[in-house]
Amino acid sequence: MTEPNAAAPETAAPDATGLSKRQVRRMKRFDNPWRNPKLIWGVGLLLGIIALGLLGRIFWDTDMVFTGSGLPRQAPVGIENMRGQVGSWAHPLGTDVTGKDILALLIVGAPNSLYVGVLASLIGMSIGIFLGFSAGFIGGRIDDVIRVGSDVMITIPPLLILVVFQAAYGDISLTIMAILIACFVWQSPTRLIRAQVLSMRESGYVQMARLSGASTGHIMFREMLPNLVPYLFGSFIANVTTSIVTAVGLEVLGLGPQRVPTLGRVIYDAINSGALIQNLWWWWGVPTLLLAVMFIGLLLINLGLDEVSNPRLRRL
Amino acid sequence: MARIPASYLTNRMITLVLTVLIAATLIWIIPRLSGLDPASAALGRMAAGGGSVANADQILAQLRETFGLDQPLLVQYLLYIKNTLTLDFGLSTASFPTPVSAMIANALPWTIGLMLISLVVTFIIGNLLGALMVWEHTPRLWKAAIPVAMVFTSVPPILSGLLLMYVFSTQLRWFPLSGPYGLNVEPGWTIDFAGSVLYHGFLPALSIVVVTFGFWALGMRGLMITVQGEDYTTLAKAKGLRPRYILYRYMIRNAILPQITAFALKIGMLVAGQVLVERIFAYPGMGKLLYDAILTQDYPVIQGVSFVIILMTALAVFLVDLIYPFIDPRIRHGG
Amino acid sequence: MTILDLKNVSIDFPTSAGVVHAVTNVSLSVGKGRRVGFIGESGSGKTTTALSAMRMLASPGFVAGGEIHLNSLPQSNLLKLGAEEMRRVRLSKISYIPQGAMNSLNPVMRVENQIWDGIVAHEGGVPQDELRRRSDAALASVGLDPKVVAPLYPHELSGGMKQRVCIAIGVCLNPDLIIADEPTSALDVITQRHVMQTLRDVQAKIGAGLILIGHDMGLMAQSVDEIAVLKKGELVEFGPVRQIIETPEHPYTKELISSVPQVGGASFLDPAPAAPARGDAADNGQPLLELRAVSKRYGSVTALHPMSFTLDGEVPKIISIVGQSGSGKSTMGSLMLGFNDPSSGAVLFKGRDINRQSADEALSFRKEVQAVFQDPYACFNPFYRVNHALKFPFERFGLSRNAAHTREAMEEACRAVGLAPETVLGRYPHQLSGGQRQRLIVARALMLSPKLLIADEPVSMVDASLRATILKNIHDLKDRHGISIIYITHDLATAYHVSDYVMVLHKGHVVEAGPPREVIGDPRHAYTQLLISSIPWPDLDRDWGSSDDARAALDRLEQLEGRPETILRGDIPGFTLSQG
Repeated sequence: MTEPNAAAPETAAPDATGLSKRQVRRMKRFDNPWRNPKLIWGVGLLLGIIALGLLGRIFWDTDMVFTGSGLPRQAPVGIENMRGQVGSWAHPLGTDVTGKDILALLIVGAPNSLYVGVLASLIGMSIGIFLGFSAGFIGGRIDDVIRVGSDVMITIPPLLILVVFQAAYGDISLTIMAILIACFVWQSPTRLIRAQVLSMRESGYVQMARLSGASTGHIMFREMLPNLVPYLFGSFIANVTTSIVTAVGLEVLGLGPQRVPTLGRVIYDAINSGALIQNLWWWWGVPTLLLAVMFIGLLLINLGLDEVSNPRLRRL
Repeated sequence: MARIPASYLTNRMITLVLTVLIAATLIWIIPRLSGLDPASAALGRMAAGGGSVANADQILAQLRETFGLDQPLLVQYLLYIKNTLTLDFGLSTASFPTPVSAMIANALPWTIGLMLISLVVTFIIGNLLGALMVWEHTPRLWKAAIPVAMVFTSVPPILSGLLLMYVFSTQLRWFPLSGPYGLNVEPGWTIDFAGSVLYHGFLPALSIVVVTFGFWALGMRGLMITVQGEDYTTLAKAKGLRPRYILYRYMIRNAILPQITAFALKIGMLVAGQVLVERIFAYPGMGKLLYDAILTQDYPVIQGVSFVIILMTALAVFLVDLIYPFIDPRIRHGG
Repeated sequence: MTILDLKNVSIDFPTSAGVVHAVTNVSLSVGKGRRVGFIGESGSGKTTTALSAMRMLASPGFVAGGEIHLNSLPQSNLLKLGAEEMRRVRLSKISYIPQGAMNSLNPVMRVENQIWDGIVAHEGGVPQDELRRRSDAALASVGLDPKVVAPLYPHELSGGMKQRVCIAIGVCLNPDLIIADEPTSALDVITQRHVMQTLRDVQAKIGAGLILIGHDMGLMAQSVDEIAVLKKGELVEFGPVRQIIETPEHPYTKELISSVPQVGGASFLDPAPAAPARGDAADNGQPLLELRAVSKRYGSVTALHPMSFTLDGEVPKIISIVGQSGSGKSTMGSLMLGFNDPSSGAVLFKGRDINRQSADEALSFRKEVQAVFQDPYACFNPFYRVNHALKFPFERFGLSRNAAHTREAMEEACRAVGLAPETVLGRYPHQLSGGQRQRLIVARALMLSPKLLIADEPVSMVDASLRATILKNIHDLKDRHGISIIYITHDLATAYHVSDYVMVLHKGHVVEAGPPREVIGDPRHAYTQLLISSIPWPDLDRDWGSSDDARAALDRLEQLEGRPETILRGDIPGFTLSQG
């Protein structure tokens, strides 16, 4: 069924007339999957958040994350709060009940959330690559252990183990939290890489490489790994999402780092201080929106990467 | 008629048992690694959190007994495993001397009810929408609308919960702000009560559904595209079958199989999300229990709730695994 | 009276480089009850043309011009039918038997249900016992026992059975036209004959027209009444089968016919050079390759029973290992390459056990033993340009003096296999055709000048017109470069031409072995005879037998279970074989 399509270019000289410009543009996009709008938009959104963190530190006073930086319960610019005060440019996104500046909290908190996500995912991926390759390549007992291990660990919700951990240890730093989360995000890359390695191991080019006297290292890293790149990227991004969700979950339960502002922590404070009932929507709403932007950016990147690794998802 | 192959069954059983054992062990080991006397540490935190502690001596004695602190480590561990597997988590320190298992028993039905509804609804809606994104006979409007709806789907349920609660409860006041049922209805097997429960459960369930259906829809979309390219779909079309019949019996029927496996793997994540939603809506399930326990540093409850949720997850996965061979004949016949 | 008329049909596929005219201006008719073969290579538009009659072109293809008439309809122009009307035409008027029988049945539905749903879709509510009666009749008509097969799931059927189920589905509503798209391409020759005979019989019984799509001129000659030859989307020749086979007019048709190697026919190889290159005997007087009572088991299945042979390599030889899928021939290949450990016995190369080598010995073994595999599409890493596959081993084995030398060697090897270096080197695998890739793999082997080459089905996935060229390339490796070759294949005709010695493998046993003129030209073993009689020849006067013959042959094959005797048909110098 796909034969005419695949073999078409050999059949006859293509005739460039009779196609609209729009069609041609869509087909070019089909040919170069990395140039797809989802990927570009997703990366753009994440870069926006990083830019907020970087530029914010230059142009805004991040010391305002501390209690009493301004009057409490101030609304964002141009909006009245319950006491009829109109928000001012001193605190463009308003303040919380203790007078912390919301914008400053976001500038410090948003990159922190991203940092935890990326770090946890990086560690998880490294473990996943190592275990996935070991399982797929060595096989036998080691494969069994890794396979059952990842099957088991994938069903344990990380949040709950982390709750137990936090409850026992109390305050932790961002990095420790990232490392803890990493202990629960290695399973899906392990499974993915194992499956890919198993199928690639039998592929013609790996056999050719073996015939060429290639070392195991060469086969793994020079022959297999490059072809895994879109999958690894996809898995990495999915794990960043999972890690941030877990981190935010912990923070919202009040179990995140206590001394560092994070988006989840802001929401925790908001819920705890009755922001919903007092209609201080900017307090929890703005960080929620920022998190949503972050997640949508990650989702778009993931969708774009899916199209890179699976051409069938690309639509003309 | 259909038999599940023994090897498949043993495999799944091993996974179940290992999951439960590892979870229990982690819960036991983590506080021990902190190098403190768990009993006095727990009490210390209670005191720090809540000022003076009533019944301090009793609680300390109870904790020492639960932890079996005078015994060697191995004996402590085995004792703990035995207690845990018999669902005996000791007594709550915050509401001493209520047994943790009783507290869990009260909260569990709410969580299971909410979970069943939200998970199942999400799974069905998500997969159906994902399938419709690919099906060639889907109305144009639908095809345009579904991707737009997906924008929210990567957001964790806690955020959607906040938004929905703000819009529908505090602003529009269409739905109650919190609680499992109205204050004016008497719990019991009455229509009023059931209606109230559904009314109160709607928003929590919705906040899970709106943000998780997209995960299934996306996965289904990819699988449907693969199935669409399969030879059997081509032959089905060549057989002149009706498009709707092909959609259900050929395409969705095959594409759903990996989704069911994924469902088993995702349950853990989804349950964790739900715990947070319960906490926002003050829904008296396991999430709320866990959150209150964290606030009051009630360590036995934290342990018990975590373990029971993991146990539930593992059992759910096992259940899905048991059903799976009946859906996929290739497993049933050891293919 | 014709059943299907194609009038000036053109089909276009829009692509990023512009519109590809997949089919241009094709006109032909299929008579009632007649069999028409569409033959051509991949990309010739044969499948596309046939599918246009079902209005099932792969997206984004569309019929750009012309008319398609199915004359049994009151309103015969198929292109003018609405979607629902067209749906009713499919299966009841035109049925389709797909190429990939392996995946053409819904894996989660019983066989009988897949026949019933077709009937119900066209006739509405049919009572259950009527449905069962008709599905049983359809299955029985293709030689399957309804009691056994009907309640099974597709994964419980063999490839041949699946294909026959597809035929049963195709004929259950007595259509006016059957389109069979390479229905036997994935099957062994023995099964192929059975399936083709079945198809021909049921088609004759219901009096339907048949369009048979294929690339094998021999199969066409044995199966159809008329042949349409397509090339690059154009119909180059159309006529009765005898006329096409015996007096082809178009050069392309001639090429297709001559590219089918025939047992006993003229060799397609150049006459051997006057002074063939010498191989070199191992320095220590050991034979090049020796198998000592090698066997291989996978779990409880024995893929290969103990066998021994010695190939001394002093004079280069081509040894063919012939067998059907599951015969153990590919297992032998991977054992000789050291990709698999034997379950018992030892594989020795120049007297050294290849599974017990130091790292240095392993590297020199790799340098001296190379391979060409079946799938030229998979042999190149899609991430690299094709040069990588040639350059890497050349440098790894220390053959390269410098970059310029490597480049020179690559270009020379390309020219030796008939490729222009500038058109292939430096490109990505997906930019090359299957034939080009396979020749590059041969060039790679040539560049490394090994002592031994294992060629595992090197031409089975390459278009027919290129097979001869690639086999010539491989044969040259022996004649011009002194490389001994183990040629693993299912195709007896090519084995007949290229090899010095043939072993026929069946279920892990050697059943017959000797020089090809004896073993293939005059087979003695029942299995070899069966294989040879199952080959479809592009020769109309040669009878391919009836489907009863085919069934009897399959039954005979069943009786060959157990340990068959080995018939040895003579020796050649430099090679000795013993079973056990």
